[in-house]
Amino acid sequence: MDSSQNVIAGVGLADRPRKSRWPARMDFAQSASGLALGLFMWGHMFFVSTILLSKDAMWAVTKFFEGYFILGTAYPVVVSGVVAGVLALVVLHAFLAMRKFPANYRQYRAFTGHRALMDHGDTTLWWVQFLTGFALFFLAAVHLYQMLMHPGDIGPYGSADRVWSGRWWPIYLVMLFAVELHGGIGLYRLCVKWGWFEGKDPAASRRRLKAAKWLLTAFFLALGLATLGAYMKIGYEHRDRVGERYTPSWVLPDPKEKAQ
Amino acid sequence: MKIVYTDVLVIGGGLAGLRLAIGAKRRGHEALILSLVPAKRSHSKAAQGGMQASLGNVAKGQGDNEDVHFEDTVRGSDWGADQEVVRMFVNTSPKAVRELAAWGVPWSRVRKGDRQVVINGQKVTITERDEAHGTVAQRDFGGTKKWRTCYVADATGHAMITAVADQAIADSIPVHERKEALALIHDGGRCLGAVVRDLTTGEILAYVAKATAIATGGAGRLYRSTTNAVICEGMGHAIAMETGMAALGNMEAVQFHPTAIFPAGILVTEGCRGDGGLLKDASGHRFMPDYEPEKKELASRDVVSRRMEEHIKKGNGVKSRFGEHLWLDITLLGEHHIRHNLREVWDICHYFLGVDPVKDLIAVRPAQHYTMGGVRTKPTGESPTLKGLFSAGEAACWDMHGFNRLGGNSVAETVVAGMIVGEFIADFCDRPENAATVPIGLVEEFVEREKAKLEAIVNRRGGEDPSALKLEMQDLMTSLVGIFRTGPELERAVDGLQKLLARSRNVGVKSSAPGPNPELVTAYRVQRMLKLALTIAYGASVRTESRGAHFRSDYPRRNDAEWLKRTLATWKSDADTLPTLDYEPLDVKRMELPPGWRGYGAKDYIDHPDTPARAAEVEAAKAAAADRFALQQALMPYDQLLPSVLRGRNERIDEPF
Amino acid sequence: MADANAPRKLTFKILRYNPRLPGDKPRLQSYELEESAGMTLFIALNEIRDRQDASLAFDFVCRAGICGSCAMMIDGRPGLACRTLTKNLGAEVTLAPLPVFELVADLSVDTGKWMRGMSERLETWVHAKQGEIDLRRIEERMDPDLAEEIFELDRCIECGCCVAGCGTARMREDFVGAVGLNKIARFRLDPRDTRTDEDFYELVGDDDGVFGCMSLLGCHDVCPKQLPLQTQIAFLRRKMLKQGLA
Repeated sequence: MDSSQNVIAGVGLADRPRKSRWPARMDFAQSASGLALGLFMWGHMFFVSTILLSKDAMWAVTKFFEGYFILGTAYPVVVSGVVAGVLALVVLHAFLAMRKFPANYRQYRAFTGHRALMDHGDTTLWWVQFLTGFALFFLAAVHLYQMLMHPGDIGPYGSADRVWSGRWWPIYLVMLFAVELHGGIGLYRLCVKWGWFEGKDPAASRRRLKAAKWLLTAFFLALGLATLGAYMKIGYEHRDRVGERYTPSWVLPDPKEKAQ
Repeated sequence: MKIVYTDVLVIGGGLAGLRLAIGAKRRGHEALILSLVPAKRSHSKAAQGGMQASLGNVAKGQGDNEDVHFEDTVRGSDWGADQEVVRMFVNTSPKAVRELAAWGVPWSRVRKGDRQVVINGQKVTITERDEAHGTVAQRDFGGTKKWRTCYVADATGHAMITAVADQAIADSIPVHERKEALALIHDGGRCLGAVVRDLTTGEILAYVAKATAIATGGAGRLYRSTTNAVICEGMGHAIAMETGMAALGNMEAVQFHPTAIFPAGILVTEGCRGDGGLLKDASGHRFMPDYEPEKKELASRDVVSRRMEEHIKKGNGVKSRFGEHLWLDITLLGEHHIRHNLREVWDICHYFLGVDPVKDLIAVRPAQHYTMGGVRTKPTGESPTLKGLFSAGEAACWDMHGFNRLGGNSVAETVVAGMIVGEFIADFCDRPENAATVPIGLVEEFVEREKAKLEAIVNRRGGEDPSALKLEMQDLMTSLVGIFRTGPELERAVDGLQKLLARSRNVGVKSSAPGPNPELVTAYRVQRMLKLALTIAYGASVRTESRGAHFRSDYPRRNDAEWLKRTLATWKSDADTLPTLDYEPLDVKRMELPPGWRGYGAKDYIDHPDTPARAAEVEAAKAAAADRFALQQALMPYDQLLPSVLRGRNERIDEPF
Repeated sequence: MADANAPRKLTFKILRYNPRLPGDKPRLQSYELEESAGMTLFIALNEIRDRQDASLAFDFVCRAGICGSCAMMIDGRPGLACRTLTKNLGAEVTLAPLPVFELVADLSVDTGKWMRGMSERLETWVHAKQGEIDLRRIEERMDPDLAEEIFELDRCIECGCCVAGCGTARMREDFVGAVGLNKIARFRLDPRDTRTDEDFYELVGDDDGVFGCMSLLGCHDVCPKQLPLQTQIAFLRRKMLKQGLA
């Protein structure tokens, strides 16, 4: 039958203008920036939480990032550079993620209604991600601007003073939850979005990923709360000497010994 | 009045209608499909087990060819089929499978090497040939000598209609969904289109066409217990009959499927038995070999269904709160087979019965399944009595099924008839003398008539309740016009249905709200359904013999001497309460396979006087013929009946070109 | 005291609205029904229509879970009504039509029109090789496993549950939905379709296509046929990204 063959490959496709490659690039950039930020946040949390080990440890980490152990002198401007990079990533990520936000009231109503009705885990998680992401527009921007402009204020006392005497702790508390939820959900979503760690049984892998996501979120929240508490405590104790920089214990004689 | 014009108006968006429209469109004619539902939701989708085509790829199908398929089909029909049409069908079916393969149907394929199957309750190892690897696979079905049923797991109809409906979209064929044809427009000799109701808005429109095709499927919903979808109410049959000219053939031939789940009536495929499943009774005894030692569970459907009911009547049924049933046991097929090749069956058991067929038995009992009867057509698919009206698929009595259809032959018929009739309908449209001149006044007259009927129903307060009438009809049909029929019961059925028909003329609805108005739909359909029910019951009461699915306990023998003929029913006037029956004899002298024993079921029958002479002729021809093709040509040439593009032999691994 | 074996009284709260009836407003209407053994929503709704309210509109065709006509919101989630047993639901059941699709009336929506539009847009058919197939010759061979893989994705019944369950589709009406993406994945897998990833990119390489998906997985979790939508959309996203970055 010759009549059965009048549909051939690419019918109608050849005449169209080629579709833009930007949606692919943007989707990739959103995921990549999200992955980078997510991993950065975990690293960041580990670095700041070194205060739980000791002030010295935290001081060492700070100085490491300022190039002290390589260059022999601390250059806080290196931190500014990193912060500028992170800020750029945040702006990029936010810009790309905005494409997915409800664009008007109708869409907003449609989604909230849908979420409430469906009562579906991953849908609700996206809404959490949307809300926390929205909050981070402001919280992250403020925090990063501060770090960008005052990179030298990072340290066991500098940070603690900012948290306590600078009254940054409320914003850090909110940001901790926003970041950990947003990042945790985001990293889980990246896995299901791109099919990472799917294995032979995607349903089981998804359950495991989700469990891992909650465990990690709980872990980082606990770590974050403990860390914030530690800074608050140090900041409180240090409230009378705001502005004083920490000197590592191996440089100064042990304060306890001195007191004796 | 809104009028839509097209060349070919296809009523029904199932496989037959879609394939027919594609054929007409590819020949350069505008085709338009009317469908009650989105095309892919049509009842064609429910075909589970597969489609028969004698490809002979699998080891157990080796040696299969058109001749074997032909004989199986004719025996299955209990010699009621038109043998020339059966020949056209069996020769085109392999081409249909191959066309569908090219269109994307993911046919299950042969895997070379050893595999374990279950045959007659025993595990057997079959070795598939290397050269068959990757070709379309076949499974066993009832009433067949070879494994011939090509399948896509147990969702064959689903995969087929998905591919064919997508081809129709590729060919830009419009499908007007949620539209119902209420009447055919005709001038007393030529069909010119249809009056149509929009089921969303309630609006009445006219569709005018050179050729109109009815491909509306079956009428299972005349019965209470049926495997058919709820849309299978026979409206295509009815509007054809209401022209007073087109005839319905063999409406009393109604098939009951042995394995409908009990009590919901949902089908589980014959593939369950084809793949090795067994029927068991209350005591766990496999009873079919007692009745049918040759074919056992895999005798034809009419025979198996009767044996099951017979066995229940003897007191061997499983008693439940809904009534009695039997068991289908597929546990011996194993989990892997069920989860891969019978996954639809697993789903149905899981969702509707709450059982796991991997380890549990399935409650089954026969239920209405297929309407062999339909709009009588010539081999071209055109009505011999109303020019321009065509029909294909279950809605038609083309007549390849006679009094009993073989499993796997229906979904095959839809596409094969679609291919063949699609070509003939294009030929019809090509001929200049068939250019339609449509008097607008005539169209208006038909539209106004239908509008008036609907308005009468809508404006009638306190009339008969349509759904109550429908239930009464369904109960009458199931209890009195079922698997076993007797004269007195059929007379009671005819009498009861006539009373219902009279009452249906006084049917009313409670709501006159615009829009879909489901009650109004039931109301106008029940009037037509009753006419069909009467056609079945009356035809059955007159036919004093047993043939195929039509079984008269009071006339248990097939009587070729008196009844080797096709029933033709027409409804002459709206005031009538019975159809007018005529009979069209089948000519034994031209049969390639003269009547005889089917190879299963009852062995005694009354011969036609011409049979012995014809049988002797056939035997002589067999001795003289050089090969099977020459023999066939000598006995009953049919090639000239096929559209030229569909002629020609079919290549097989064992019959290379 | 209530007999433990006595049938439950079920209350169905059904969203009623006939857009063609002037002045009609969407409202929840309650119907009471005694539960029977093996009762599905198909049985329950027909009983309501036959005995209580003949004007109630809904769609059933196969009533066996294979045609996809009867998808509706059952207690807030999309599902096939015909194969939903009432015994798996509470005594109060809320039924509403699927969102996104055009409402016909009450529980009936026009999924057909949406699906046809999707099919036309994504060209959901095999774009075969040029040249005629000789139907008399043995069919082209295909690996049995590949045939089964294609069938796995071909099982979609276009019921619309995935679209109704998708937050993205709810917000953006031009989104192709999981049904569309699954179809592209299906044809991509099919060696009979000659289209390349470059062709497929033209169809789904944007924010109305695969890059619009936010991976909420509502589709995957409500699909009545348990299609591997999560895996397929992820796979397609990777392939389309590769095409986009090439």
